[in-house]
Amino acid sequence: MPPLVIDSQSPSIRKLSVKNKIDLYALTWRMPVIVWQLLFFVGPLLFMIAMSFFLVKNYRMQEAFEMKNWIKMTSRDYFWDAYWYTIGLATLSTVVTSLLAFPAAFGLAFKVSASVRRWAIFLLIIPFFTSYLVRTFSWYVILAESGVANALLGYLGLGPYKMLNTVFGSIVGYLTLTFPLVIILQTLSLANIDRSLLEAAQNLGAGRLRTIWSVTIPAAKTGLIIGAVFCFILSFGDFVAPYYLGGSKPPTLPILIIDTTKAGQQWPRAAVVAVVMMVTLMVVAYTAISIAYRKRR
Amino acid sequence: MTNHKKFTRRKFIKASTAVASAIAAPMILTSRKALAAPTEINMLGWYGTAEPDMVAEFEAAENVKFVPKYYAGGDNMLAALAQNPPGTFDLIHTDAEYARLLIESDLVDELDPSDYPMDDLMHEDFMNFPGHWNDGKLYSLITRYGHLGVSYNKDAITREEAMSYNVFWDEKLKGKVGHFDWHLPSLGEISLLNGNTSPGPFDISEDAWKAVQEKTLSLKPQVGGYFDFGGTFAGLKNAEMLAMVGIGDWVTGILERDGAPVSSVVPEEGGIQWTESYSIVSTSTKKDIVKKYLEYTISAPGQVKSAQMLGYPGFAVTNAGRAMLNEVDPKEAMRTGQVNGDANDPVALIKQGRIHYRDIPKQQSLEDWNDFWSEYKNA
Amino acid sequence: MNADRVIRWSIWVYLVLVFAFVFTPIVTSVIFSFNSDRFPTVPLGSFTFKWYETVLNDPDFWKAARTSMLVCVCSGVLATFIGFCTAYTDFRYQFRFKGAYIALALLPPTIPLIILALGMLAWLSKIGASGQVWSIIIAHTVLCAPFAMGVIRLRLQQMDPDLESAAWNLGASEWAAMKNVVLPFAMPALISAFCLTMAVSFDEFTVSWFVSGLNKTIPVAILEVLQGTVDPQINAIGTFVFFTSMTLVVIAQLIFSYRSNQN
Repeated sequence: MPPLVIDSQSPSIRKLSVKNKIDLYALTWRMPVIVWQLLFFVGPLLFMIAMSFFLVKNYRMQEAFEMKNWIKMTSRDYFWDAYWYTIGLATLSTVVTSLLAFPAAFGLAFKVSASVRRWAIFLLIIPFFTSYLVRTFSWYVILAESGVANALLGYLGLGPYKMLNTVFGSIVGYLTLTFPLVIILQTLSLANIDRSLLEAAQNLGAGRLRTIWSVTIPAAKTGLIIGAVFCFILSFGDFVAPYYLGGSKPPTLPILIIDTTKAGQQWPRAAVVAVVMMVTLMVVAYTAISIAYRKRR
Repeated sequence: MTNHKKFTRRKFIKASTAVASAIAAPMILTSRKALAAPTEINMLGWYGTAEPDMVAEFEAAENVKFVPKYYAGGDNMLAALAQNPPGTFDLIHTDAEYARLLIESDLVDELDPSDYPMDDLMHEDFMNFPGHWNDGKLYSLITRYGHLGVSYNKDAITREEAMSYNVFWDEKLKGKVGHFDWHLPSLGEISLLNGNTSPGPFDISEDAWKAVQEKTLSLKPQVGGYFDFGGTFAGLKNAEMLAMVGIGDWVTGILERDGAPVSSVVPEEGGIQWTESYSIVSTSTKKDIVKKYLEYTISAPGQVKSAQMLGYPGFAVTNAGRAMLNEVDPKEAMRTGQVNGDANDPVALIKQGRIHYRDIPKQQSLEDWNDFWSEYKNA
Repeated sequence: MNADRVIRWSIWVYLVLVFAFVFTPIVTSVIFSFNSDRFPTVPLGSFTFKWYETVLNDPDFWKAARTSMLVCVCSGVLATFIGFCTAYTDFRYQFRFKGAYIALALLPPTIPLIILALGMLAWLSKIGASGQVWSIIIAHTVLCAPFAMGVIRLRLQQMDPDLESAAWNLGASEWAAMKNVVLPFAMPALISAFCLTMAVSFDEFTVSWFVSGLNKTIPVAILEVLQGTVDPQINAIGTFVFFTSMTLVVIAQLIFSYRSNQN
């Protein structure tokens, strides 16, 4: 907290005219986030970039400026395999989540009453406040070879299917993390579409699917893409689903980070992975957002 | 105006007090706790080593409280050391091959062997265990050990089949072979399968190392996943994995006690031994009480606790410990072969030359092995 | 018209399936927490409280719970404070680089936690602040402040900007107007933001796991059980966490909508 000084100038003449003046009052509100974020958000990220050039000798980190870690990591096949696998998996998760969420969001936006919609959104918020780890553990127990799902399928004479330690398992995990969020974002963007647009399309004789494809989706484009971007970011950065439900087979970049810090003792190399991840995410997010906000021709 | 000023000031004082107390609260609370509570011993150890079944008795007797930080795998332990400020830990529970690194880095204190019943240790190797000693001085106290080999589901394969590491390549285990996610035990076993028994699976030439890598990669199609302790444990129990590379009774033992159809054997090609010990951290301010705990762990009751540990079982290292185990828990003694004259007596296995002590690679760097392990996982 | 009904029905069925998927893990975790089997399957084992007993009798759990509470209250206060400052600045002032300013404030949730965790760990050890309860609070404040800002900014949006200047014209200083006009108006949002940020902090595990050292929070304890013995204690702890977080959220929601409707 800055020292407390009270401005005792006659206040009556001040109105909107002083809005842009930088005084102690303004700074009191403006500075906390700047100071805090520079110290504890920008600081760590910049330090991490610097750290990717450090060296590790005898299990101790030494400050240096060497390309060794970058050369080491980028020359390894397993790094690039993990990279493309992670991108692939996150993309798959994004596509699956967006496609599965759309009919639900569409229904919530257009086919139910406002109060049902409110309740549905409230229900969808609940999972955010349950432990993601606990939910993952539940899936672990459900999907196991001798688990609940296979036991139930067994009654129907099906299975057993191998679901744990597969891509399917990872995707279920990602869905657990992202599904509610994507449905909410999609629902909100669909619900905000100007209804008259849709009616106009129908009046012009467009079929249902045609209306959805050429009117609804373009009109809600921004929200749909933002939902997808969040889904991608969350899946790309999550280590729990691919580890506990995907069997870490093969590991994704977040698992690689944990491996290299916790097991390999190589913070600088983990930093290389993290920096590559950050750059990738920036490119993906920037591309997606510019598409989202591009004016339709 | 004056009124306003006063209220405003009060408001702000209130607000800043709230923020200040949010900032100060952790310090106040932690420091107060430290005064009131029993002496806290910060311990870095394998999972389960500071759980109540192990330490409650000692805690009650000495008015101490163990605060554990658990890890799995020696590299993991080194990372935890690096990750926490120096002076964080008082006591380190570690594997012999990593104890050596602790000693080399001057992190742990010298121990006086005459404080402990070294003469009562069950094998002469234990009295002078590589990694625990340096320049004829003792730094780490042996407390328990175990053997790694083939761990398997008894419903899926027979004990005879499991008696060779080749079983991992068996068609019926496709996708059902799990790895404990640590390079040393898994690669060590493959090295044994390749016949690297003399001088040992971890002391291999470049060519032999290449061969180990190739052999390991050929196992890839069989592999169902790479697991931490919890995953290994749950995978075997769920029958999600039918065989596991790189583990032994320390995992299957818990499940077996629980009645699950799993077991571990030391195959014909030989097995690997893990050997755990305790060291006192040089920067500790509680060395006297920590030393007392070391004495406790190697006493007969301490040895029995270690053999029965809920986290994972380990063999007793002293004759007195084994004798007491046979007395108080003959069932567990039988299950693990810790009965003098038993065919599976772990000490007898060592004497037959079938056991190789786990070590860090001699001719390659630890990093080479670690690197290959990452490569293998991503292959 | 028939087609409409088919569509309506299939959408309802689909929605039910979606919600079933979302709630399956939550419901099963509660059920399993009372189930005696160590690795549950159907048919279920017998009813038991033993996992709750194990958890509640475990002093480490209580220690983790205390750490969690301490962390979430402290980071809740700090994040709400920072969030309010930022939201108010955004509401009231125009200035150069405001876009960058807002981006700086809102960016943290877009960075994967694992990356923040690594950065925080390295940076905090560098400045000598790692491995303490403190470290988690610092990190959580960064993570939570944007949420607080969002909630408070929404509330300020509903305030007539002239209200504040009216107060100045009546002779109040800016500080007094803040105290008498802005803060009371924003109060419900402050409380909501406080509850919400506490709930976010209460569930976070990645960053805590990296920076907490020996000071486990509850989610870190859950992660350790998952890495360690893997037993249904997790479900018992999870049920406890669920009710704590839900209480916070419901309070936040009630206060926010009640006061919003009132004004």
